[in-house]
Amino acid sequence: MSSPDSSATLPSSSRMSFPEAGQRPSPDARSLVVAVDIGGTFTDVTLQDPSSGRAWRAKTPSLPSDPSQAFLTGVRLALEEAACQPQEVGRVLHGTTVATNMILERKGARAALVTTAGFRHVLEIGRQDIPRRVNLYSWVKPKRPVPASRILEVRERIGVGGVELEELDEASVAAAIESLRKLEVEAVAVCLLHAFANPAHEQRVAELLRAALPDVAVTASTDVLPVVREYERSLTTILNASVMPGIASYVGHLEERLADAKITAPLLLMQSNGGVAGARTIRRAPALTVLSGPAAGVVGARDVAAACGFGDIITVDIGGTSADIALIKGGEISLTQHGQVGEWPLSLPMVDIVTIGAGGGSIANVTKGTLTVGPRSAGAQPGPACYGRGGTEATVTDAHVVLGQLPESLLAGRMALERSLAETAIRKGVAEPLGLTIEEAARGMLAIIDSNMVGAIRVVSVERGHDPRDFTLVAFGGAGPLHGCSLSALLGIEKVLIPPAPGVLCAEGLLAADLKAEFSRTLAKSGRIDEVVVTRLYAELAEDAKSWFEEEGVALADRREQRVALLRYHGQGSELAVCWAGDATSTEVQFSKAHSALYGFTLDAAIELVTLRIEASGRMPAPVREKLGRARGAKAIATRRVRFAEGLRDVPVFDREKFGAGDSFTGPAIITQLDATTLIPPGWEGEVHVSGSLLLARE
Amino acid sequence: MLRSIEDEAKPAADASSKKQAAAGVCDPVTLEILRGAIRAVQAEMEALIERTAISAFIREKKDFYTSLFDADGVMAVGSNMPVFGDMSGSVFKRFPPEAMRPGDLYWYSDCYESTGAVSHSNDQVLIAPVFHQGRRCAFVMSWAHFADIGGMRAGSISPDATDIFQEGIIVPATKLIDGGCVNEAVLEMFHRNSRFPEQSRGDMRALMASVELGVKRVDEILIRFGAAVVEDGLRQLLERTRRLVRERLAETFPYGTHRFTDAIDSDGHGNGPYRMRFALTRERGAKGEDRFVLDASGSDDQSPGPVNFLMNPGVPGMALGLYYLGGDPGQVCNAGGPQALDEVVLREGSLLAPRFPAPLGMRGLTMMRVLAALMGLVNVASGKGPAAHSAYVITLMRGTFTDEKGEKQPFLLSDGIGVGYGARPYADGIDAVYFVAQENYPVEFVELGYPVRLTHYGIARDSGGPGRYRGGCGIVREYEILADDAILAVRIDGVTNPPWGIAGGMSGGAGRAVVNPGTERERALRPLSDGNRLTRGDTLRIETGGGGGHGHPFDRPAEDVLEDVLSGFVSEKAAAKLYGVVIAAEKVDAAATAALRRKRPQVRAFHRNEYVDVLA
Repeated sequence: MSSPDSSATLPSSSRMSFPEAGQRPSPDARSLVVAVDIGGTFTDVTLQDPSSGRAWRAKTPSLPSDPSQAFLTGVRLALEEAACQPQEVGRVLHGTTVATNMILERKGARAALVTTAGFRHVLEIGRQDIPRRVNLYSWVKPKRPVPASRILEVRERIGVGGVELEELDEASVAAAIESLRKLEVEAVAVCLLHAFANPAHEQRVAELLRAALPDVAVTASTDVLPVVREYERSLTTILNASVMPGIASYVGHLEERLADAKITAPLLLMQSNGGVAGARTIRRAPALTVLSGPAAGVVGARDVAAACGFGDIITVDIGGTSADIALIKGGEISLTQHGQVGEWPLSLPMVDIVTIGAGGGSIANVTKGTLTVGPRSAGAQPGPACYGRGGTEATVTDAHVVLGQLPESLLAGRMALERSLAETAIRKGVAEPLGLTIEEAARGMLAIIDSNMVGAIRVVSVERGHDPRDFTLVAFGGAGPLHGCSLSALLGIEKVLIPPAPGVLCAEGLLAADLKAEFSRTLAKSGRIDEVVVTRLYAELAEDAKSWFEEEGVALADRREQRVALLRYHGQGSELAVCWAGDATSTEVQFSKAHSALYGFTLDAAIELVTLRIEASGRMPAPVREKLGRARGAKAIATRRVRFAEGLRDVPVFDREKFGAGDSFTGPAIITQLDATTLIPPGWEGEVHVSGSLLLARE
Repeated sequence: MLRSIEDEAKPAADASSKKQAAAGVCDPVTLEILRGAIRAVQAEMEALIERTAISAFIREKKDFYTSLFDADGVMAVGSNMPVFGDMSGSVFKRFPPEAMRPGDLYWYSDCYESTGAVSHSNDQVLIAPVFHQGRRCAFVMSWAHFADIGGMRAGSISPDATDIFQEGIIVPATKLIDGGCVNEAVLEMFHRNSRFPEQSRGDMRALMASVELGVKRVDEILIRFGAAVVEDGLRQLLERTRRLVRERLAETFPYGTHRFTDAIDSDGHGNGPYRMRFALTRERGAKGEDRFVLDASGSDDQSPGPVNFLMNPGVPGMALGLYYLGGDPGQVCNAGGPQALDEVVLREGSLLAPRFPAPLGMRGLTMMRVLAALMGLVNVASGKGPAAHSAYVITLMRGTFTDEKGEKQPFLLSDGIGVGYGARPYADGIDAVYFVAQENYPVEFVELGYPVRLTHYGIARDSGGPGRYRGGCGIVREYEILADDAILAVRIDGVTNPPWGIAGGMSGGAGRAVVNPGTERERALRPLSDGNRLTRGDTLRIETGGGGGHGHPFDRPAEDVLEDVLSGFVSEKAAAKLYGVVIAAEKVDAAATAALRRKRPQVRAFHRNEYVDVLA
């Protein structure tokens, strides 16, 4: 589907660039940077010249069967438009939702777990708790990602401190391999007891599995999360394994395509923590990317909001399949180590995001007279009915088309939206079963999807004690600008920000992100700080960081290392991370200060060291931000009839490309641009900010 | 919840809401934000306890809770705990709220003085008033189980106890901080009574800090919303729960008296079974309004052993309330539940209202059975409640081990082990859980911290009561003893009176404790017993019970039974015998299954070891 015909480029040469004074080009500043975000429905590409800030954008439909094809199509288009050679590309940055969607839709590889004999049900038992916030009478324990029928035991035992108590019985591994063959699995996780202290057995099992089952993706727990506590480690390992085949073939394809296109630049992927990392890291631990795409969007949203002077924002990224929602207070993106993907805890550092299955492709369903919308999605294939690609089920996009809120074509006329198909789908799927008019059905669908998103926004705001009315809603993703105002009205939010290129905001985030990696060692036995040990371990970690810097090609001047010590009072179960202050005494003082500041007290107890960590980052040259030219007086390019709840209205349509800084408009209005359509309902007004964002406010 | 914000967002946004706020009315949107803000305070207080406490019982098992009370000490936002009653009353008896000052902190663990607000002495309760502009507006509470507070054996609770003085130090309501000045002497006295004073010290600091944090955060809420709006909001939260629970009670219980009897096996001293008899009467009051009266006075007399459950009169309403609130996260478990019952009748000297100084330490098994019996009442009246669950199991292992330096060290391992919960009319019972919020000691954790090695940790096969919906399964946990010497207490109930099944569902399997299983030295332990000696090299195997099933087992889809068999939850033998499903070569034998299922056994209302119409 994604032939060049169905794609388009948007040269932003009509915008003027003002590189900030004093911006020092880094040694490879002449290299171009490409940022690619592959969503469920569209693939967005931004090519940027970091030294001038000049950017070229391309958008092309995603092709789920081979996302790399759209990836490359987009990159080629952008290069052509910029009249640049592939060799000029210095970095390829990429954010992806592949892993997230696989977990949320339970479409990961068919996976199995190999564990220590006697402990097959660790996953079923979990932490044996009824979660604190649920109701014990109504709670149903979620089905595990791998049922116990696919959990195999091998005879071996490592004990405390990594001591081998029982040799690995390779015959039992052979038996497990036979069972795995019968189970026809695509991925296997290996998580053995105490492997975090001694990975030898685990690595040997993984090696035997890889040799015997070359087509099966194998993950050992110590490759992903080498920490104590078997349940959480097993779960993370399984999730990693189940997305591994998908991600590995995906990254492999991307690299092949890049090579075909003569792009030799390294491929960097966005991680859940808002930093990027190389393909090798990601292949080994694809679970690090579960929030890759969403994290990129949040980083991008923070940047565009900051350019308008907003630090308190709620970000709503609505794509084809899902909506990702996050809250940023004071410009700080909060990271969590206790993230959750779907129903599962995932103990990897990630941006604090809530994801729900609500997007433009979400399918409406009527069962027993009840209308629901999502989480099932038509995705890019077949896509909404109005795409005319064979989709017959009514989607949210179809509802927008029926109400006149979307134009007849997308992507600057290269993709038609067929209203009649949308009407048929809604009539058959929703209106007739419920005895409604098509218009009522469409409006009902939108009310439900908005309501679902309001629920998720409440989770990040109200449920955490924040009043959404104190925040600006940043709406982006292909479908975000259609819903921004209606969501805000439901929440009492007064201000909405629509970024310059809402469909490719993830690309903005990719361009703004630094390379990030963490290297840590947990001491075999925690105890008082021993400076000799600390010096030795930091030296080892620094070596690891150095090889990583080299692997990632980070110039000396751009390397940053933060030495962190994780300390606790003897007996505590959680550590506090404090910067290593150079010696034991000063670091202990730092710890006491931090404990007092955070918890309000200190204890007269021994302070013990648990883990040492180096947080390495490779600083990327900050992108130069373009500024819009002055207002030219916005004129409507067309008028559309839109069915609002208040009635049928003639609505002016503006071309966003023609706006200058300071242009203003009042609702109802529709603003079209290549990658998104913004709907401004009656009662709202808007203004164009010099950074290119639209600022909408209630009259 | 979603609908409410859609309907109500508009009035909130306009100017009239600001006028309402001035008049002290909390509008519906502000109410939801207030509720969320209080939940956030709770989460922060809980996180502080978890991250800073020292004992594994608190930081790893997470036996702690927090709540917020209104200006009169009525619980407005609790935890989802069905066994909370009136938490503040015993403080007020000694310290009238009018005399309280900012910076005060109150403390107690006295079961009898608090009428069972805490029901064994290990639970320490800290409560502090929150003042705003000189006015008392709220209270915050943190509660945690302290691992050792003295008493006859390490861990303080023991099946051997015969009065409460053997169960550790008792703290009557005490002013721990007086206007900012800490009574260090009373703290020292408390810690001196613990076998593990460092844990006691660290845990108490954590608990005090969490209350301090709660006071600060609630103060911020008061500043943000105004005292009048908060007061009105808390009132609404209470009223909302109370109204909802009363509506649901009326839907469940026709006018008249509904009775249910359940039993625990023994008190560990050779007595039992003990029956608890509940009667719920719905009648019309003087003005024709509904009156709901819960009468437990027919329960058996108190026991010499420590299985007495000193039940705060608020508990039945809290438990029924939580059941009725269901899975809606917008609802709040609070004193609205207890307030929904007009009267709770208890008989002094009975198992549920024992006389001082009867021992209480093992009350957990009775408490869990009370919760099942309350669901029995619901089932008798409407048939929509869950089947019975097992009582969670606890083992206390105390002894000495030799450390790396060759020195003998004492240790205490209080290991809580999950059980199976009852099947619901719409879902299987929960497999392998302990109780609300309380977590296990992971295998790796327990081996790092204690002189044991686990040899098996898994699902207890066939422990879930068979049914269309299967009861949850219990757990097998097997330890190799690395300690030099240890004395073990074990608490398992529901062996002779297993958790009942309903609507054709069968009772759950029973638990057991056995030392050195499968060897010549094998010996079974009494399910509720102490003084069991273990030495290095012994193997201790604990199996816990399951929950009752719901619906006829022959109606369970054969594929579900197959998955249970392949996953080790149900044996092939039980699949054929109890579910009528024949499994051969890891597949369902459809023909043989159909043949078996034609011989469908007759069932009756309840099942406990056998089908019966009424449990007695």
